Amino acid sequence: MEIRIRGVSKYYFSQGKTIKALDGVDLTIPANQIFTLLGPSGCGKTTLLRCIVGLEAPDTGEISIGDEVVWSKEKNISIPPEKRGLGMVFQTYAIWPHMNVFDNVAYPLQVRNLPKDIIRDKVEKTLRFVRLEGFEKRPATKLSGGQQQRVALARALVAEPKVILFDEPLSNLDAKLREETRKELKAFLGKLQITAVYVTHDRIEALALSDTIAIMRAGQIVEVGSPQKIYFDADHEFVADFIGRANLVKATVRAQDADYTVVDCGMGTIACQRRDFAIGSEVTLCLRPEFIRLVRGEGAAGKNVVNGRIESLVFVGEAYEAEIRVGNELLLAKFDSDVNLSAGDAVSFTLDPAHCLLVSI
Amino acid sequence: MDQSRSKLTYSLVIIVGFLTVCPVVMLALGSVSEGLTAFGDFTPDKYIEAYTDPALLDVMVNTVIFVLGSSVLATVLALFLAYLNTRTDIPFKFLFKVLSIIPMMIPHLLFSVSWALLLNPSNGMMNIVLKNAFSLESAPFNIYSLHGMILVEALLDLPIAYLIIAPAMASFDVALEESSRVFGAGTWRTLLRVTLPVLRPAILAAFILGVVRSLASFAVPSVLGMPGRVNVLATHLYEMIALGFATDYGKAAAVGMSVLATSVTLIYVYRALTAESEKYVTIAGRGYRPTMIELGKARIPLFTIVAVLSLFMIVLPVAVLLYTSFVPYTMVPSARAFSLMSLKHWSDVLRDPLSLLALKNSLFLALAGATLGVALSIFVGYAIVKVKTRASGILESLSFLSFSFPGIVIGVGFMWFFVQTPLYATIWALLIGYVATYLPYGVRPMASAFVQVHAHLEESSLVCGASYLTTMRRIIVPLLIPGIVSAWILMATMFVRELTLSVVLSRPGTEVLAVQILRFADDGLWGKLSALGIIMILISTTLVVLATLVGAQFKAVEGGG
Repeated sequence: MEIRIRGVSKYYFSQGKTIKALDGVDLTIPANQIFTLLGPSGCGKTTLLRCIVGLEAPDTGEISIGDEVVWSKEKNISIPPEKRGLGMVFQTYAIWPHMNVFDNVAYPLQVRNLPKDIIRDKVEKTLRFVRLEGFEKRPATKLSGGQQQRVALARALVAEPKVILFDEPLSNLDAKLREETRKELKAFLGKLQITAVYVTHDRIEALALSDTIAIMRAGQIVEVGSPQKIYFDADHEFVADFIGRANLVKATVRAQDADYTVVDCGMGTIACQRRDFAIGSEVTLCLRPEFIRLVRGEGAAGKNVVNGRIESLVFVGEAYEAEIRVGNELLLAKFDSDVNLSAGDAVSFTLDPAHCLLVSI
Repeated sequence: MDQSRSKLTYSLVIIVGFLTVCPVVMLALGSVSEGLTAFGDFTPDKYIEAYTDPALLDVMVNTVIFVLGSSVLATVLALFLAYLNTRTDIPFKFLFKVLSIIPMMIPHLLFSVSWALLLNPSNGMMNIVLKNAFSLESAPFNIYSLHGMILVEALLDLPIAYLIIAPAMASFDVALEESSRVFGAGTWRTLLRVTLPVLRPAILAAFILGVVRSLASFAVPSVLGMPGRVNVLATHLYEMIALGFATDYGKAAAVGMSVLATSVTLIYVYRALTAESEKYVTIAGRGYRPTMIELGKARIPLFTIVAVLSLFMIVLPVAVLLYTSFVPYTMVPSARAFSLMSLKHWSDVLRDPLSLLALKNSLFLALAGATLGVALSIFVGYAIVKVKTRASGILESLSFLSFSFPGIVIGVGFMWFFVQTPLYATIWALLIGYVATYLPYGVRPMASAFVQVHAHLEESSLVCGASYLTTMRRIIVPLLIPGIVSAWILMATMFVRELTLSVVLSRPGTEVLAVQILRFADDGLWGKLSALGIIMILISTTLVVLATLVGAQFKAVEGGG
């Protein structure tokens, strides 16, 4: 089911100041996709999720799920969370400690007053789906973190909702388990026809899991797109910087031709991927460290060839991370650990215009 | 929902505000009034009279010595026990848990009486035994003295001090000590330079709570102080309102005002300190194991001290009462004493109409009071923990305020209030007074129970499609049951034994157990007193067992469903 959010704002008042947790959010979440809300902590992503599920009431705007308007300020519609028929996995899992696994998962069906044998069948089926069969009688608190996470998922799925919401569900797991659970979750969701809204502040998680990512900052949606689009083709400096490591270089647009936008910056004149900027405007040139491919010695003069010197080196296992001094700029570059370069060496690199991303400041 | 929540908070502020502020205001007004029947005719006479009383200086000196002495002793003992338990390899560690919990089930009044029976100068059993054993001229100990009072009060305050200090010591990051050792300091130097300073907030908090409690203490001064004419403020107040020819509630209120002010100030210092000590407590990471100090040769002597302390605090008091309830008059245990044992005191007490009335009243107050108190505490706890507005902050401070109320002083305040109402001299006056004074004991367990119920547990039930009522019934209440049960037990056992408020508020017809026991003590009817005292302990214990069973039952049903 598609979720449409129109002009939703939410304000908090604290110590005499108004904090805009959500500031006029417009967003359409397409049906049957994994849609991620990504942003730094305090950007409003969890508030937006809680508005969708109905645990918070926005101050303005309208939210509809499928064909049903679940919240509207103007029309004075406010469907309570228990009537919205959604599934949700909480950050703390919210497994009820006084119930066993079966009762936790059966709860959404029990409150709908389904017959006992149907409940038993559905719970069994769902527990098998999340690979927890045989755990029915266990006290829920006696499970490991990963198992509790799957109980929470089973409980969210058991009533077959059309939309499932995740509030940073992996943040309480340790690094290794987080990676495994992420893969599992992707596999589980891939098998279902379901709209999943996923909130996280972890960019790797967002890139690995999502069909679409929306980046949020200070209560606003900054950019929406596929993981590839967000990583390689971001429109905003904030997005390019947030989604991965990047060298951000101040630049001025000098010319526009058919294929490239040419800019002046501390590295000289660079031809970049074409973007519609006015000539003379100030922009930011964004370079991912993995696309700065170093060659020993000075390079022959040519298009996008840059000369510099290695200022410092850090060995990080699978690669070296080097700081390259080019004029006044200090760039982060990465090269394979078997390449024999050391601090002080003169190096050069040629930039592929496709990887020179211009973003607005 | 938000609106009904803030309405709830405001009505709670009014109820709790009335319960806690009313006696204080009435005390203040009473202290400047002509008299109970002339309320509102203002005069400064009572203050002049109270504070120019030549006896007051003696009383003040006694009070300061008593309060400081018992608090210091209790804190030092608690520190000693906590250190032994958490940081050394002393054997039989379960004894420490017993020491910290069981004494709370023995009412202070009975504890004081048992020590009077053991160590009074004329026929205290332990005194007589020692006199005979060492052929002494006179009794070696006199419990009817300031020293005796300090000792008994310290033993009574020890469990509370221990419960404050022990957790702080247990969660102490040993790396702080270890680094001191690495830099060359020995065990003793480390203890003095690192361990104790880091624990200072917890130690001070225990000490201040001891001061507040001993300042409010009435059982020890009345049983052990009054026979030897050693008066402290609590008994000084009691003499003004209960003894002599002319009771003077105005003068009592005037003295009470300064006791109350001291107490309230101290409890806010205590509160600031506990907040401080939570900041200090260094929760160590995983794999944390405190280094145990090997006591070596000192192990057995130190354990003997703990064992003797347990004997003094738990076994002796109950044994003495039980024994006294069976022998016809006070005598040292001997073959003859055992041959004279009978159930006479028990049958006397159970046929004594006054004792039966007291029993009935106390039972009613315990059951109704605890139920009412817990019901109020549930809402207050909810408002404090789950509704975070300015009003709920006020509510928290209000509900904490009565924690500092010395029973006898606040009783005088309530007296001024109830005399103006038809509630005067009824059981309802006691009920309201009990709930008001002991509210923090219900609110605290309820608040911590609500803290345990993470908002997500409630919200996920709503998202699952359960209505608010279903969520309340199936999620919130079951999770709160342990908190409700412990709050109820705490309040009920306190109400069964309640003494300080009752000596002021109870009137003919509304006697309660503790007041009746005090009356037996005044008349020297130790046998009857002991029988009634044992009944009181039995009721407390039964309430604890019953409530625990009910709580367990509820859990089992929910788990099976």
